[in-house]
Amino acid sequence: MNPITYLLSKSNAFVATTLLMMFLTACSTNTNDSVSANVTLPPTENLKLRLLTEDELAFLRDAKRLRWFNLTKEKVLNQLAHRDAQQVKKYVIDMMATISAAGFQEGQDSASNIKDSILEPLSTTADSTSIPLNTDAPGYNKRKIIKPAILDKFKRTPGPINLQRYVHERDGIPTFANSPVAIRIEDLVAGQVEIAFVGVPLALGSGWRDSQHAPTVLRGMYGLGGYDIAGGVDPTLILNIADFGNIATAYLSTELNIEHIRKQIGEMVKAGTVPFIVGGDHSIMYSTVAAMADNYGKENISVIQLDAHYNGALGLDHYYSDKQSVSRLLQDGLVQAENLVQIGLRGPSQDKEALEWLRSQGVKYHTMVEIETSGWDYVVNSTMKQATGVGKSFISFDMSVLDPAYAHGAGRPVPGGISTLQARSLVRRLCAETEVVGFEMLDIAPYLDLSYKTALTANYIMHACLTGIAMRKVGLTQPDYLDPLALSE
Amino acid sequence: MNLIKCSSVALAISLSISFVQVLAKDLDELKIKVSTTPSIAGKVPENIDSATPGLMPTKPLEDIPDDIMDIINTLPKAKSDFIKSGKSSGVLKKDILFDLISSASTDETEEYVDTIMSIYDQMEFKKGRDIEAIELNKSSPNFNSWRLKRPQSMNPDREPGPISLGRYIGGGRSGIPTFANAPVALTPEDLIAGEVDVAILGAPLDMGSGWRDAIHGPRAMRMLRRGTGGTDVSTLINPSSVLNIVDYGNVAIDQLSTERSVQEVRKMVREIAETGAIPIIIGGDHSLEYPNVAAMADVYGKGKVAVVHFDAHLDTGRGRVHLLSHGQPIYRLMKEAHVRPEDFIQVGLRAHYSKSYYEWEKEIGMKYHTMAEVERRGWDAVMERVIKEATENTDYLYVSFDVDVLDPAFQPGTGTPVSAGLTMREAIPIVRRLCAETKLVGFDIVELAPALDSTYVSALNANSLMFACLTGIAMHKKGITEKGFISELSSDHAQDNYYGDNK
Repeated sequence: MNPITYLLSKSNAFVATTLLMMFLTACSTNTNDSVSANVTLPPTENLKLRLLTEDELAFLRDAKRLRWFNLTKEKVLNQLAHRDAQQVKKYVIDMMATISAAGFQEGQDSASNIKDSILEPLSTTADSTSIPLNTDAPGYNKRKIIKPAILDKFKRTPGPINLQRYVHERDGIPTFANSPVAIRIEDLVAGQVEIAFVGVPLALGSGWRDSQHAPTVLRGMYGLGGYDIAGGVDPTLILNIADFGNIATAYLSTELNIEHIRKQIGEMVKAGTVPFIVGGDHSIMYSTVAAMADNYGKENISVIQLDAHYNGALGLDHYYSDKQSVSRLLQDGLVQAENLVQIGLRGPSQDKEALEWLRSQGVKYHTMVEIETSGWDYVVNSTMKQATGVGKSFISFDMSVLDPAYAHGAGRPVPGGISTLQARSLVRRLCAETEVVGFEMLDIAPYLDLSYKTALTANYIMHACLTGIAMRKVGLTQPDYLDPLALSE
Repeated sequence: MNLIKCSSVALAISLSISFVQVLAKDLDELKIKVSTTPSIAGKVPENIDSATPGLMPTKPLEDIPDDIMDIINTLPKAKSDFIKSGKSSGVLKKDILFDLISSASTDETEEYVDTIMSIYDQMEFKKGRDIEAIELNKSSPNFNSWRLKRPQSMNPDREPGPISLGRYIGGGRSGIPTFANAPVALTPEDLIAGEVDVAILGAPLDMGSGWRDAIHGPRAMRMLRRGTGGTDVSTLINPSSVLNIVDYGNVAIDQLSTERSVQEVRKMVREIAETGAIPIIIGGDHSLEYPNVAAMADVYGKGKVAVVHFDAHLDTGRGRVHLLSHGQPIYRLMKEAHVRPEDFIQVGLRAHYSKSYYEWEKEIGMKYHTMAEVERRGWDAVMERVIKEATENTDYLYVSFDVDVLDPAFQPGTGTPVSAGLTMREAIPIVRRLCAETKLVGFDIVELAPALDSTYVSALNANSLMFACLTGIAMHKKGITEKGFISELSSDHAQDNYYGDNK
């Protein structure tokens, strides 16, 4: 039996594969960075691979490049077994040509977008390094310009406006926590508002895109007001809360929103409020955390991110998206890695490289595996220790951190998450025991939940933070404080 | 057959008599000039930018009361000129402005005007201050990855041709969900070798302005196997036996940019059309109409293809910050002279567009048929007219079907639904007839958003519309050209002449 038929023979394919793998693995471990000229290949391989150049052989040994095609050496060897030398050559050349076209190619943006002497401005955008906008658009910036009070037809004294006609009105015009409305920054200042809710309806996330409707849906759902048994306070009584409406968003590009959101959140901070931001997808985190860093200094804030996703993707073609808000913040120096805590990571968006990257950056991450092994209390204590050490905290809450059983209306749901109870107790403690400077509730997709459940849960989690802030205001900041009445004697 | 014709004519006549009194004679409408000379194929219509629909043009302020004029004239010239020019209207309505300054001191008046001028200055694009393009990360190792194709040499060697995914000799369903349970083709060579008549392409672009989920439109239509197979009752034709149909997979999409995505769509649709196959594109949002029809112009020539646009919306938006969105494909197609305005035929319009949109369509000579026209003339008359218009100027037709043209009762699963639309019983015959009685070169179904519909209804109706078009294409291939053809066998138990209209 000659080596080729031996290789092709089904009964021996496993043996052949194993042998070849051992050889190739041995070769690759010896030649990590440069391709060694004196690789010795087994006779079977020599026949199959005889037409390949050193570069092409190196490609076959490069686990990283093979992974780009979802291949392993084992899978490749299986492919080689069914090809002759010519076909193997073509297989390798085609893959190498494909991967070498992945990056931007010099000159790929030089094609003309004039055809038959007519301008087709979009005809080259797939190849170019920028996406053209229509600068002739009338009112190019109109959507994000704020109308000053002086131009109001009917003048009024600044301050939040209560839209309720009756003293004890529950429904009516839906606002967050049934709170009065602040239209402009002056209203927040005049009303000495402590907590300002704001919606950021931007739905360009990588999952189901319905977070643009979350602000409206949460406004229309109860659960944000009233007494909290654990904390023993009624935050809507103790705190001065307002609904600051929505921040304008451009629905076709994440990029066009980054600066405006950052500026608006910054204005809310300067007005002395703690912004409660309701997204929107997780790309918003870049702007919100940047605004916190702008105003408080990044070294003074812990960012506590509850999320199934680490959002640290690197090297993407777009600069901003939900998948890369964390990597972008770190690269732009807007958050200190050691002050960033991620809780609830799970699912395939965190691969080995992702976790290695998080670790190399010094991000404190707690995966669901850790919660399972070390216990929830351990993660809570570790997080509280970190956060109280720094003093100020910003909480970035992605709805996906909860198990879909508790909140299936999440844009990027992943099974196996934390419970509402766990989230509520951690959030309440963070908001009571540290100085919370902002809270964001991101990536809710209301249309995925025909029930009230996701919206109610989201409001209860924000209520837990309101409770914590109210507890802090009345001096209840001792670790894991629970109101005595909450427990039987 | 005759009965249908007679009754529709009678209906049309009676409707026009009874409704003639309610015809509005608005003087403004009469002022619009209607172009009588046809546009030239391949040339951008001269009046295409005559107005920006939805946006009032800046006109000098009229009817300024004397007391207000006196106040304005006390301002420095630059400021008074600014107010008189009408530019302030973009910031503040003139009535509010007059109201404010009528009771203001000189200083206050000047403050008002300064504020308005400052806002006006911020509003318009200013080079250097405002971004004029969205920069991409050129250094990304995956800059082009989203649209790189997997080399075919990575698959086991095979002869070109559609890949049948079924295992059993008895046919049936393979388990792998494909459009219309069709075999799969991956390359143009597959289309040519298989003498493919129709290639169905998924295009999951998800950038609509309403509820989003058009990304899952193709998946929903593939997974719901109902509606796409078997024999059509009206014609007793089984399109799957007459036609070579394939599922051509999905086209690559950059979900963060409509602009980048549509270029890849245009290439793929062109690739299909160049083989002679009819592309059916399953969206995805309605931005896709631009690359789909531009690809038709690439293959058949600019101005050579007419488009019937089924939609609750006009989609003629222009003058927006993004050059393309699902509200602007028609303007972009005409602006680049792919389609002449008179070859655009819109059906089912009813969303709340301002009057200026219709005025602009009238001026440039587009053909539109709103639900108001259906109310006035009856569906049969409108359908006959649309079919006539679809064939009168051009040899080729493209049909773009936005599922929101249907009433939400039939199509809850769509991103920007509008009440009071077409029924399925109205939609099916017109789609079948357009696909049968014209030289159809392409068809799309867009804006299916399955997340909005927890039932099967939206996907079933979308599949049924595709089936109606496939039936029409099959009729055309078989040489059935009779207008409104309905098989004799398929009604009246085919045994007598009860209605007295048998030929």
